[in-house]
Amino acid sequence: MSKAENFAVLGQNVDRFEGHDKVTGSAAYVADVFLPGMLTGRILRSPLPHARIRNIDTSRAEKLRGVKAVVTAEDTIKKGWGVFFPDQYPLSVGKARYVGEEVAAVAAIDRDTAEEALELIDIDWEELPAVFDAAEAMQPDAPLIHEEKENNIALTIDVVRGDIDAAFKDSDLVIEDSFESVPQWHSAIETIGSVADYSANGKYTVYMNTQTLFMARMRLATALGVREADVRVIQTAVGGGFGGKSCDDNNAMVAAILARKARRPVKIINTREEEFLAGSRPRVNMKVWMRMGFKKDGRIRAKHMRIIADNGAYSGKAPAITGVAALRHDTCYKYSDVRSEAYLVYTNKIPTGAFRGFGNPSAEFSVEQMMDIAADELGMDPFEMARLNAAEEGYVSPHGNRVISCELRQCIDRTERMIGWKEKRAARKPNRGLGMGCTVHVSGKRHFGDYDGSSATIKMNEDGKAFILSGEGETGQGHWTAMCQIAAEELGVPFSDVAISEADTDLTTFCLGNYASRLTYVAGNAVKNAATAVKEILHETAAEMLECDPSDLVSRDGFIFVKGAEQRSISVADVVRGRQFRRGGAPVVASGSFDADSVSQDALRYGNESGAYNFGCQAAEVEVDPDTGHVKVIQYAVASDCGTVIYPIGAEGQVEGSIAQGLGYALIEGIRMEEGRPVNPNFSDYRLASMRDMPDLVHEFADSYEPTGPFGAKGLGELGMDPVAAIISNAIYDAVGVRIRTLPITEEKVLRALQEKKNGS
Amino acid sequence: MKREMVLNVNGEEHDVEIEPNRLLLEALREDVGLTGTKEGCSIGVCGACSVIVDGRLVSACLTLAAACEGKKIETIEGLARDGELHPLQRAFVQFGGFQCGICTPGQIMAAKALLDHNPNPTTDQVKEWMSANLCRCTGYYKILESVMAVVEGKVDEGRRDEAVRQARIQSLYQSDTYKSNASD
Repeated sequence: MSKAENFAVLGQNVDRFEGHDKVTGSAAYVADVFLPGMLTGRILRSPLPHARIRNIDTSRAEKLRGVKAVVTAEDTIKKGWGVFFPDQYPLSVGKARYVGEEVAAVAAIDRDTAEEALELIDIDWEELPAVFDAAEAMQPDAPLIHEEKENNIALTIDVVRGDIDAAFKDSDLVIEDSFESVPQWHSAIETIGSVADYSANGKYTVYMNTQTLFMARMRLATALGVREADVRVIQTAVGGGFGGKSCDDNNAMVAAILARKARRPVKIINTREEEFLAGSRPRVNMKVWMRMGFKKDGRIRAKHMRIIADNGAYSGKAPAITGVAALRHDTCYKYSDVRSEAYLVYTNKIPTGAFRGFGNPSAEFSVEQMMDIAADELGMDPFEMARLNAAEEGYVSPHGNRVISCELRQCIDRTERMIGWKEKRAARKPNRGLGMGCTVHVSGKRHFGDYDGSSATIKMNEDGKAFILSGEGETGQGHWTAMCQIAAEELGVPFSDVAISEADTDLTTFCLGNYASRLTYVAGNAVKNAATAVKEILHETAAEMLECDPSDLVSRDGFIFVKGAEQRSISVADVVRGRQFRRGGAPVVASGSFDADSVSQDALRYGNESGAYNFGCQAAEVEVDPDTGHVKVIQYAVASDCGTVIYPIGAEGQVEGSIAQGLGYALIEGIRMEEGRPVNPNFSDYRLASMRDMPDLVHEFADSYEPTGPFGAKGLGELGMDPVAAIISNAIYDAVGVRIRTLPITEEKVLRALQEKKNGS
Repeated sequence: MKREMVLNVNGEEHDVEIEPNRLLLEALREDVGLTGTKEGCSIGVCGACSVIVDGRLVSACLTLAAACEGKKIETIEGLARDGELHPLQRAFVQFGGFQCGICTPGQIMAAKALLDHNPNPTTDQVKEWMSANLCRCTGYYKILESVMAVVEGKVDEGRRDEAVRQARIQSLYQSDTYKSNASD
């Protein structure tokens, strides 16, 4: 379904709201915050993957000149925090469970002094046996990481829908396979950091580069043992998030504890090495076993998936991520008989967590390869098979996800055309291959309390300019710009007449923040509702001033007109001033709320997790060098169904960035761990794609309209990332007949597989 | 032992008193007070701290401040003149050459260093040169488009219609490779 609307501001490539600040170097990131008397904080981290702390002696460090505070768990309330399981402490209590864990910290007048002080802290360690592999950690003889967690299992999911045994019996083709993804680090060019201040009246103020302010505040309050309003979190400019800055780490906690003890502001900026050791929580690594049943005509009949997910030493969002990997993809294709099993297992490694895709990339790496394998076995064209199974408007997934708008088939058609599938398959070239895959994602997810909403306040200035107060925050994706466009469209004012606040927990209403591709849809609806309420006030006053009925008024381009008699008009500024500057005057201000029509999953994990679902299809053409195993991506095509496109540059940027991260995930990223220690925690060894590495990319947005979205919009940010690795693998198989089932798909793996194929093994 | 010296940044002389091992990055950010130059990797790989010293592009995280005494240092803060953005800055805004913005000062300084030496680079030369500046948000497409808009004198024309733009991006990338070069 599509609905053409005549928009004044939406769909325009306006200049980004904070653009001039960012191109002139004046945008203030957390490292750019300098407060009077500010100290530098540094953290002492566990050198061991699993060890009991017999004793910590900080006396030598405290005596060093320039040291203003040294803290350990003794300076904390020793209360665990964590979004699902409160198993993490700001500073180790009793034992450390991974290399890099925060054990003690120092605040000093400069970095050199703080680092010298760290070396003067003496810790008496008792090393404990450790376990690094999730499957091994589930074995009965594995060392226990949290004594109360039997077999180190943090979470078990076993969901059965329909009659899975009968469905496999009824299948004409049953295939089985196993896949393994790779831990991927967000590698935002800016590391996590914070500046914490503690005032004499007992209030903490924390400047943070977080994506989720109010969540950060909630966790800080828990860890510090104070009420939420005793903590003020102010978002600085954020130098890239991708899930990594959603506050499941301890950086800000430690800064706040140091600030309280030192009674001076404390800044802690993670070094790049710290970011890899204990900063942003890397993608949850998953081993996936799958069995799928198909009918001869290509229809999916049954799906059984078993996941072993690596939680790392503490549980941040990994429980929710595991749930997504187990269930979400069943919203992409139509079938009813499913079993999904998943085990989330503690290991002595950095806790894993939210990263663009939130479990879906691991699932799609598996499912989209299974689809390709099945198409191959059935002798079907993968595009035909995708079209046959594709979800559509009105589809309800086996787990209760209710699809309203869905242009998946349109995306499949567009992608097939963009990549030139038929033409290229008809004229094959040696060592060249094509692969495709589909993807689904949410527009917000109901899993933190029974709420997936947002709120915003809009106040009108007496010059007619609107100001949005929102606590969602900007992480770099262009959210602020999209919100200003939505408000401008609804208010009928120019884009340049709308501004938006920095996010600050003291000044805005509760907002969940940047995750789950939720902002355009969820926050966009809240901003639109606030704008509608403001417009009503404006029209009420304008009607008095123009002596007409409010229902006869229409707003456009900063003016309010009488419909049909457009010479009778008044500027928004005059209306605001008219309402304010009179006896009994009042400001023009209103709030708007929105809570998505989703439901919390029940005990059996049934429930519509999101208000809207976004879909897409992608394809790649690759060339494989049989002598080196080198994979060259010749062309990449993407079609995305994100409903109405509000801010085209921003939307395109989400697609392009997703593909870049997806290609990195597929081909080059990953960290080698030895005994729980990352051996390449830096950007010269952990390689990110650079400009010359990027392939030719073609992309289109589907003609689409989501009836529950603001002006028809829905989410987009993660959608593109999810299927990339599977598509590259499918294309490699098409090119040279070898299938790589573990990420990243290195030259070495391809070469080895080619060798094995040649040897007929 | 701290030493007094003069750093010439964006045409202005700054008196600073710094240790001989003070990095240019720290001196600019903390002693001169210009925080537009960013720290990303701290080992000269990501390019976020790129500045121009006597016409050469350097990583401020690997350069000693003392070694820049008597030299002309250019940072992102020096590009806009009297509130008028430099064409590269305008291009990055118009063509969306940034998202989070943390790598942007380095990207723009790198592009400036290239264009100062060669105002008419080919697309491949731009890609090769700009590959020393990492970005995690954009996938580089719009950064390349922004730089090429300056090279081709297309800044301030705004964005063309979508089909033309897509074709252009494709042509920028058609000759290229994606390098699979993992560390394990």
